[in-house]
Amino acid sequence: MIGGGKSYVSAPPAFSTDAKRLLVCTGTVVSIFSTSTGLQIASLEAHNALVTSVIVVPGNKALSFCWTASLDGTLRYWDFAVAELMKTIDIKMPIFSMVIPSFLGQPEKGMQESALPVHVFAYLSVENTQVQANAPKALRGQIRKCDLTESRLGGGVFAETREPEVITVSPSGKFFGIRNKRKIHIWRVPAIDSKLLVSKKITLHHTRNLTVLAFHPTKTIVAAGDVSGRILTWRGFGNRTFSDGGKLENGTSKNNEEERPGVRGDDDADSCTTWHWHPAGINVLSFSSDGAYLYSGGVEGVLVVWQLDTGKKKFLPRIGSPLLYLTDSSDPSLSSISCADNQIHILKMPLMEIVKSISGIKLPYSVPEIYEGICNRFAFDHTAGLVALRTENYRIQFYSLFDDREVSEVQVWERNHQPGDEIRVIVTLVCLSGDGSMMSTVEVKLPEEGLGGLVCLKFWASGSQNKNFTMSTIVYEPHRDAGISSLAFHPTRRMVVSSSYGGDFKIWVCSDEIQQKREALQHSGWMCHAVGSYKKKPMTAAAFSADGSVLAVAAETVITLWDPDNNALVAVIGEAQMPIVTLSFAGKSEYLVSVSQGSKPQLSVWSMSKLSEFWSYKLHIEDLTCAPDSSSFAVLALLPKSSAGMGSNEPSLVGKDGVILLFNATDPVPLTMWSVRKAKGGGLAFLNGNQHSFQYNILDGKPPQTLLVYMNGDHEYVIFDPYGNETNELSLTKRESHVALDETGQFGYASIYGELPRFDLKRDQAFLAPSAPSQRPWETLFSGSSHNLPPLTKLCSEFMESLLEKRTATVE
Amino acid sequence: MAEPQISKTYPVKPKHKPKPRTPKQTTESKYWSSFKTKQIPDLISSITSLTFSPTTPHSFAAAHSASLTLYNPQNKFSPTATISSFRDVVSSASFRCDGLLIAASDLSGLVQVFDVKTRTPLRKLRSHTRPARFVKYPVADKLHLVSGGDDAIVKYWDVSGETPICDLLGHKDYVRCGDCSPVSADMFITGSYDHTVKLWDVRVKDSGSVMEVNHGKPVEDVIFLPSGGLVATAGGNSVKIWDLMGGGKMVYSMESHNKTVTSICVGKLGKDGGEEAQQYRILSVALDGYMKVFDYAKMKVTHSMRFPAPLMSVGFSPDCLTRVIGTSNGTIYAGRRKNKEDFEGGSDEELERPLSKYERRQKKLKALSSGDAGGLGPVEEPQVRVLKPTNFRYFHRGQGEKPSEGEYLVMRPRKLKLGEHDKLLKKFRHKEALVSVLGSKNPENAVAVMEELVARKKLLKCVSNLDTEELGLLLMFLQKHSTVPSYSGLLMGLTKKVLEMRAEDIRASDDLKGHIRNLKRSVEEEIRIQQSLQEIQGIISPLLRITGRR
Repeated sequence: MIGGGKSYVSAPPAFSTDAKRLLVCTGTVVSIFSTSTGLQIASLEAHNALVTSVIVVPGNKALSFCWTASLDGTLRYWDFAVAELMKTIDIKMPIFSMVIPSFLGQPEKGMQESALPVHVFAYLSVENTQVQANAPKALRGQIRKCDLTESRLGGGVFAETREPEVITVSPSGKFFGIRNKRKIHIWRVPAIDSKLLVSKKITLHHTRNLTVLAFHPTKTIVAAGDVSGRILTWRGFGNRTFSDGGKLENGTSKNNEEERPGVRGDDDADSCTTWHWHPAGINVLSFSSDGAYLYSGGVEGVLVVWQLDTGKKKFLPRIGSPLLYLTDSSDPSLSSISCADNQIHILKMPLMEIVKSISGIKLPYSVPEIYEGICNRFAFDHTAGLVALRTENYRIQFYSLFDDREVSEVQVWERNHQPGDEIRVIVTLVCLSGDGSMMSTVEVKLPEEGLGGLVCLKFWASGSQNKNFTMSTIVYEPHRDAGISSLAFHPTRRMVVSSSYGGDFKIWVCSDEIQQKREALQHSGWMCHAVGSYKKKPMTAAAFSADGSVLAVAAETVITLWDPDNNALVAVIGEAQMPIVTLSFAGKSEYLVSVSQGSKPQLSVWSMSKLSEFWSYKLHIEDLTCAPDSSSFAVLALLPKSSAGMGSNEPSLVGKDGVILLFNATDPVPLTMWSVRKAKGGGLAFLNGNQHSFQYNILDGKPPQTLLVYMNGDHEYVIFDPYGNETNELSLTKRESHVALDETGQFGYASIYGELPRFDLKRDQAFLAPSAPSQRPWETLFSGSSHNLPPLTKLCSEFMESLLEKRTATVE
Repeated sequence: MAEPQISKTYPVKPKHKPKPRTPKQTTESKYWSSFKTKQIPDLISSITSLTFSPTTPHSFAAAHSASLTLYNPQNKFSPTATISSFRDVVSSASFRCDGLLIAASDLSGLVQVFDVKTRTPLRKLRSHTRPARFVKYPVADKLHLVSGGDDAIVKYWDVSGETPICDLLGHKDYVRCGDCSPVSADMFITGSYDHTVKLWDVRVKDSGSVMEVNHGKPVEDVIFLPSGGLVATAGGNSVKIWDLMGGGKMVYSMESHNKTVTSICVGKLGKDGGEEAQQYRILSVALDGYMKVFDYAKMKVTHSMRFPAPLMSVGFSPDCLTRVIGTSNGTIYAGRRKNKEDFEGGSDEELERPLSKYERRQKKLKALSSGDAGGLGPVEEPQVRVLKPTNFRYFHRGQGEKPSEGEYLVMRPRKLKLGEHDKLLKKFRHKEALVSVLGSKNPENAVAVMEELVARKKLLKCVSNLDTEELGLLLMFLQKHSTVPSYSGLLMGLTKKVLEMRAEDIRASDDLKGHIRNLKRSVEEEIRIQQSLQEIQGIISPLLRITGRR
């Protein structure tokens, strides 16, 4: 089983102490990427739920320790160079955010830690699970203190909020704060040996909901962004309240009430200024390490640098997606910004230049209501194991399911995407040919009060393996102004059928094929070969049979069968209750599967030999996929709300809202079923199991012929063998059941040296059949970038071992 | 993966237009249409003959009415001289091979030889009793002339003595045309209204013609093709090609003209260097107003051009730069192709010109690098040192410095050209973008900007924000383009919306009312067109239905 497609931007990432690695929270694991190559090099796996914070212990560049916090209620301490878990603290409350102020400001602390046990405290934002969520005015969020050295939770609760909030700590390590609706609460971090349970707190007020706050590295300045795009900067906060605490650099406290411009009411600050450039809410706010600049960014995808004294601006425009987090590293020239499109850009800082991008699978994006029905979700390249996803900026992303990384992107509509604008242009359909060499896309532009709407059908061809698609033909308004409901490629020939709600379907052929006979091959292009319609009914779905001799087109509730070459109607089959939305032939068998949705959802199997319905279920089907050669097919069914609520009594069904059912077309009893989470908006596909990259990872047994991939509503996916024995008890949502055959095995060092990382990852395990992929591994064993290499002690044993193996081989 | 990428800026582009299934222009037709045609109007009567001088600057002589005018094609076809000492209409003219003398025949039967420079008649050859129709200098022969006329006699003249050497008898009707062989000074062909084309050799006297072919129609023009083995004859609607070596066999008959072909000549694809340089074509002109280019290697008409008058004569300069066509109404369509030598002078000059220092060095470098690449023979010591980064001058090389073979080229990313409207759209100044693109004279871009504004849901807001002057601009645009089929989908709807939204403002201004009147007129015209088209469709569709049934 292979999993992947995690979000890289669910939580802020963290740089390692030498700034050569980036620790990214990806679902339940922490993935470690190299900042120089942008590739994944390791992962930390132990948490059971979403990891929400990762904090690297600062200090010497050789140190590689980090703390992570997760929604499963644990804090874990890792040595991430070797991916080893060193310590676990169970808080028993979901942790949403964690800061450790003592790591900041006093870098020598980390060194002392080993010498004498100084208590390290963390401040956690946790969710109080005892309070019912639906109770009025429930205060579920709590800020708590935790002694990491003694692994116990401090008694007191600093603050209670409606929802768990993100804690922000000042770079000097003296303050931390949260935003709470229109207020900011700031605490001063108590001294280590202080016996005070609750430290002093100040509150700053604003008239709009605040979104983010940031502390100045040296001065007592705090900046906050609000939902309207304003940036507020309070200077000299807490001079009165915290003045007993000692010498602040800005400590000339003027208590003159009149000379506090912009400060609201009784707030404890000297002045408050406002900057307004951002048109919408601010997500990113951060001071530069020398405190001269303030970085801000938001929904519109522009990183703005403010000169703090003068308010002058500089911009990094066209990042292309809403910004979420800005993370600094110990290296002042490197920072990273996380974008909402699941990309992390590594910035070279004074220049603000993107040097590297780490891109994950594109996340689903909200689509206007009217489009929802006509968008297909994914297109799968069955042979290469790729998925094609439509992205918000009019592109198609090709994502390798086996390698869990992006392969390429194709710009479908050449238009400047403005994140945060209303979505009015959208790529609705994408369809790949059986061999993956051709693609067809449909995009729709919404009319403005009936003006200027456009439907556009495009055909693409790729020359080589790397999916560099180039456009071959563009058809404006292929079915006049009617929308296209589905696209399907002929299994063997260059033929595409497009069905429209306007009541007709068109068969398109590539002119290469026509002109082969006349041997006058001038330029390739697609043209309309035939038009068909049935009683002027909207055509809602289309599919070719496995040999391409029959074309099935659903005309709302009936299925019409056509001869695609002669464009002749062959037969019309029966009547479904609701319009059919998906049609598919079950492999090479004589059965046709149809899915209709709406108030009376239905899954039906039609027999082609009898031209009648064979069997059907009343199920709400989200997606349907048919195995290419056998007669089995799999559906992703949504559980009805009532049964989902009922299922909550059973522990195994908590939070699961869908099931995958594997059928044989001849038998209405499903072969297998798996229950899954987040099935709404999910997808299913059979993949060809004879994958080079996949076989590589399977160490025992022969690879399965076909694999099933399930992609959930958040674009996380798992690939598994639907006919395997062990899958019956596999829970698809339990990610810790991953074995070493997931993505760590395939990047950088690992891709060259096979199971060596496995040997490093789990030292206690007996290593399995060490076979050196290259004949003379010692030659290349020590080459490669040094931060990718395991420690010398480990390499040495591998080196010796490879020598030994060589010798036995020669003896035999 | 992981390439640093900032999303690119895309300029607003108009929709793609459908491409024709066959390329619009072949390279050859591009060549033939690269002759920039200029009219030389107001000659007295039809242009009976056009002939080029064989020497540079290849001026040409046009025979019209009772005069012969010489034009210089290098100087915008300005007339350099006019010879008018003729008693009757000039029928034909021919330059001597050195370009110093010109012979001309007229309908009084007189053949005269003039000095091109002084325009004085040097010799008068009187012997034709009826109108003389053609005169020709043999190739590379300065002493003799061939002429023919309505008395059906072809005469071979000794020019200096003003006496016919021999009369060649055999044609039974008017002799209208003739040409001399490019390979032999003694051989020529003549074409006559008795449908025959005869090949003559003056070395065999008294025995009549050497060979005779029958064209089947009165022969209007006849030429030798450059090989000397083929001849092309024009008569009736057809141009026929005959193989003289093969005993007068017809090779091909080109019948793509609709009326009588009046004149043919040999054209050449004058591509500089390469294999295409030696490709000859037959240019034919006819009374139907068409000039056709015929490739007699592929037996295909490769280009065709239409002129607004019956065409009488055609000429093509030996340097492939000029092509002239004469019409029956006294206009010459003179076409000239651009070439560098117009500005730099002849290519011969260039060779003799002392090379600049830079060029010498380049030549040296080239020689050196080719020597290295071949690896054969002793490598010569370069006399001029190649510039090295140690040399100070190395850093003062100009922008024109060409990279040598081994140098690594750092390509500068191509700068994206953004129009003014693109820049305004980038700044979200939608109304200004719309106004600026309406002001520029490119309807495609304007429609593209409107579509982009629709995609941003800002078009109607822009329309409501326009002031009176800008609204006038928009109405003018709509009036001009709303009926264009490719834009009408958007613009018709927009026109309606504009009128709905801005009715008050339009009523208030007289200028705008004028625009509305114009708009109304163009819409009415379009409706009329549509109605008549529908009528035609109504006529055609039953016919199609019937033929479809069969």
